[in-house]
Amino acid sequence: MATTFAGCLGGGGSDGLTIGHLAPMSNPLGIGSKRTVDMAVEELNDDGGFNGEQATVITKDTRTDPSEAQSVTEELIQQEDVDLLIGTFNSETTQSILDLTAEFDVPFMITGSAAPSLVTDYAGSDYDTYKNVFRIGPINSDFQAESIADYCAYLNDQHDWDRVAFLRDQAEWTEPFGEQIPGLLSERDLEIVYQDALSIEGTDFGPVMSDVNESDADFVLRFFAHIDGGDMLTRWHEGQYDFGIEGVHVSGMLPSYNELYDGAATYETTAQSGAAGVTSITERTQPFVEAYSSRYQDADEAPIRAPMYMGFNTYDGIHVFKEAIDSLETTDTRNNLDDFVGEMLDVDVTGVAGQLRFYGPDSDYPHDVREERRADGTITNYPVTQWVGPEESECVYPDEHRTADHQLPSWMQ
Amino acid sequence: MLGDIATLVLQGTMISAVYALIAIGFTMIFGVGGTLNLAHGALIMSGAYVFGVLAQGAHPAVAFPITILVVALLSWGLYQILVRWVEENVVITFLATVIVAVAATEVILIRFGSSPLGMTLVSGAVNLEPYGINARPRIVQFVGFVISWVAIGLLWYYITKTDDGRSILAASMSERGAQLTGVDLHSVRSKTWLIAGALAGAAGIILGSTGGATPLMWLNPLALAFMIVVIGGIGSIKGSVVAAYVIGFLEQFTVTFVGHGFRGILSLVVLVVFLLFMPQGLYGREFAHD
Amino acid sequence: MISTILLLGTVCSTVTGRLGRVAGTLRRQVLWPVGRTLERLLAPIDRVLDPVADGYNRSLGPYFGEMSGLQFGVIAVSVAGLLTAGYWAPMVGPLLGGGLLRTLALASIWAIFAMSWDIQSGYTGYISFGHSALSGAAGYTTALLIVHVDPTLSIWVTGSVSVLAALVVGLLIALPTLRLEGPYFSLITFVAVLLFYRLTTAFSSLGGIPGFGQPDVFTWDPMLRYYYMAIPMLLIALALTFMARSNLGMILIAIRENEPAVSAAGLNPTKFKLWSFMLSSVPMGIGGVLLVGFTGNVDPSTFVVVDNSIEMIAIAVIGGMSSILGPLGGAFLFEVLNHQVLHGYSTPVRYLFLWLIVLFVLVFARDGLFRAIWHRLGAVRGESE
Repeated sequence: MATTFAGCLGGGGSDGLTIGHLAPMSNPLGIGSKRTVDMAVEELNDDGGFNGEQATVITKDTRTDPSEAQSVTEELIQQEDVDLLIGTFNSETTQSILDLTAEFDVPFMITGSAAPSLVTDYAGSDYDTYKNVFRIGPINSDFQAESIADYCAYLNDQHDWDRVAFLRDQAEWTEPFGEQIPGLLSERDLEIVYQDALSIEGTDFGPVMSDVNESDADFVLRFFAHIDGGDMLTRWHEGQYDFGIEGVHVSGMLPSYNELYDGAATYETTAQSGAAGVTSITERTQPFVEAYSSRYQDADEAPIRAPMYMGFNTYDGIHVFKEAIDSLETTDTRNNLDDFVGEMLDVDVTGVAGQLRFYGPDSDYPHDVREERRADGTITNYPVTQWVGPEESECVYPDEHRTADHQLPSWMQ
Repeated sequence: MLGDIATLVLQGTMISAVYALIAIGFTMIFGVGGTLNLAHGALIMSGAYVFGVLAQGAHPAVAFPITILVVALLSWGLYQILVRWVEENVVITFLATVIVAVAATEVILIRFGSSPLGMTLVSGAVNLEPYGINARPRIVQFVGFVISWVAIGLLWYYITKTDDGRSILAASMSERGAQLTGVDLHSVRSKTWLIAGALAGAAGIILGSTGGATPLMWLNPLALAFMIVVIGGIGSIKGSVVAAYVIGFLEQFTVTFVGHGFRGILSLVVLVVFLLFMPQGLYGREFAHD
Repeated sequence: MISTILLLGTVCSTVTGRLGRVAGTLRRQVLWPVGRTLERLLAPIDRVLDPVADGYNRSLGPYFGEMSGLQFGVIAVSVAGLLTAGYWAPMVGPLLGGGLLRTLALASIWAIFAMSWDIQSGYTGYISFGHSALSGAAGYTTALLIVHVDPTLSIWVTGSVSVLAALVVGLLIALPTLRLEGPYFSLITFVAVLLFYRLTTAFSSLGGIPGFGQPDVFTWDPMLRYYYMAIPMLLIALALTFMARSNLGMILIAIRENEPAVSAAGLNPTKFKLWSFMLSSVPMGIGGVLLVGFTGNVDPSTFVVVDNSIEMIAIAVIGGMSSILGPLGGAFLFEVLNHQVLHGYSTPVRYLFLWLIVLFVLVFARDGLFRAIWHRLGAVRGESE
């Protein structure tokens, strides 16, 4: 209600700075993202504003539906005259509005989708048209695959695990993993002993668990975004299967997830940007998480302790934007797009989910967030968290952010 | 190989029991009123959510009967408030119930959002590997199996051995005949909806406590119920039970020998074969009324 | 236990009965007088327009249906309103939350879908839950042609191949299923669309969940875009109305009302049902092509998902099934409510409200809002026509 009202007053003209935020509002990811964008703008407004101007935020619900996303985006661009669009979660919603934002030269920061094609098929193949698009995080799936493979090598060091059961959603987003993971694992002397893509329209995990068990795998490496792995985790705990469950599990990133399933998620891991706020990725991470939880701990809707990964990225996006605007010395981004892009490429900001710098026009991933690598080349900004209690998780990877070692399930210890 | 088959039989048996529970209520309503209740999936979904909410505060053994009662009442209310006013027109009923289902999704989205709701009926699992079966089924699956057969047994007893129940059977065979023998059709239909609701509630509890509850969970059970009823024969409870096992085992077979991504494809093929060559199903008569 | 509930039920039904009586009183005391006043006001207009309508009835009436003066006036005003919307909508828009032209363009596409659904499902009573598979076939054909054959293909080439694809998919669904009884037919269409959805989400050669972003929109200019959608829509409305008023339309209605009688009259119902399905597939294909030009993205949740089919049905129900123009009006009502009037509410609340309206129409105004209004308009001077 408040945002609608503000939108009516703040829309139009170059007299105010308007930020359009797009997210699925029935999803905790979207709610977390909305809260962080409000927080960031409020903080920065109080702190002198964006090049001296106060910004207003208008949040629109994309309903994870491409045509709905397009309709609200058009509204934001044409009626509210936004100077920045930030957000979007599913890759299909993001993809559906790329042309629109490019047509109207509106800077667009993607904070929830990680498909490399969003960069390579657009700015990568027609830079001039899509130069308005930046991706704040998480690092794209190509880098994610590499980082996850390094994580598997860490597990091998830790527990002597070298037999992998590789499971994924039977959906397009896991295909980069399907193509790269086998090669990356064999480079690291790990063997895939079982693999399958599971139907996202409902899977009975009983037979899946039996198959994995029969393959004698040391751990399951799974990539689930559409499948909720709750059934799998419950069977894992109740059946006390002798393997770990690792990888990426989007449902499992929900802060209340483990409670929801009565602790069945304990010992599972998932990689997520921001590491659920359990560790100090930068010196700004913990102050941000504390501010978030003190502000929203009494809110009705999850997430109340820390936003999910999209919230970390959205918060960082607004800070990056401020940095670029202050150097640009005007808030009229749409008429100064080339200069704005130039400023964005010069940005080097310490965010709450990591250091933010962007790839330039000539790289493979123009305007994509750069991965951070330590001296030996290992990617460090795709941390992995493990559930260790009903509400507690720890960061177990990489070394620089680790808050605890990876734990074996209690029945395997 | 022998172990594989034993595993297949065990897992097929347990999943099929749940499928039977999903389909029986649907087939009963179809049999008695000629009504296709496309909101059946939504009733199952409400069972999962009601149980999920109750189980947060109460013991599952208390939450279980309350949930069944609530869903039975919801189903009965759906009949009283909506369906009885439109049921003489098959097409309108069809459309009205599907709209109820999508509206239910919106209510769930408003109240619970799109993330899944988890719940526990009973916890624990049994390791059957020492007996040569490569499976560690959850106790809740056994409970589902037992609930399914207890429900089928009670229903069978009610329909064949009590006067009340026999009126349902009579109405499903011939409405005119039943009316002539003094059966009050309206009350028979109300009772059918009540019972179908109770069965949907039980199915919802089992689905919810095995896989969690989500706002779109009504779609798959509905498609399943539809398929089972076609294969088993419209209105035949026996047919639905048999067809549920046929589908359950086909799925298990596909999963074991083809791959998890192809689950359900083989059953679709069987469905199409039935529709084209045996539309009356295993135990049914063709869909024709009076 | 059961008897207590039954007792409770009796109580409830009494209450519903009482409510029915209240509704009856309401109708007698409020709606009728209002209606009568309106009739008195409108009757002179009807009389004035009668000569024009007579001219129409003599020349075109046999092809598109006869109208009273008032009905003719309403149609004329509506068509004029739609044709000039590009000019007035931007002015009226801000009162309704803005972006009205986009909503009207979207409504035009949905009007095409709902009318196409109507000529098949509404007329024959064989309810299809799978119509989004037809528009999906067209959309995916366009996208695949652009991605794999030649990105510069003209819209006339991709468009006609896509419409053909919709027709082929339509035949694939219809040929084996139309012999079946109504509910089985609905089941197969339902399953067909679920299957199509699964194929498109699972395989990257079909774009997967993000779909294809390569197709371009026709234009981002709101006014031009509106006309790109509205003019084909009006032409399709004209063509389908003509078909529906022809002998074919009569036979389709006869199939819905009494199929055995149609067979007894020596006609083959299956053949005519097939015709209606093909007649429906072609405009569905055109609508699919327009939707590609509207969104520029071909993905499962815009084109295929079963909710789309349900939305088409809801629109046709609100407007009035088996009337072609009813679903057209329904589409505009549905989309304007959804994107303009209810604009401030969250999406689930909006849809819940819309579904409740559909239920209300199904129970209380089975013929649909626009059909009901239409008949009232035709009878403002009593049953004189």
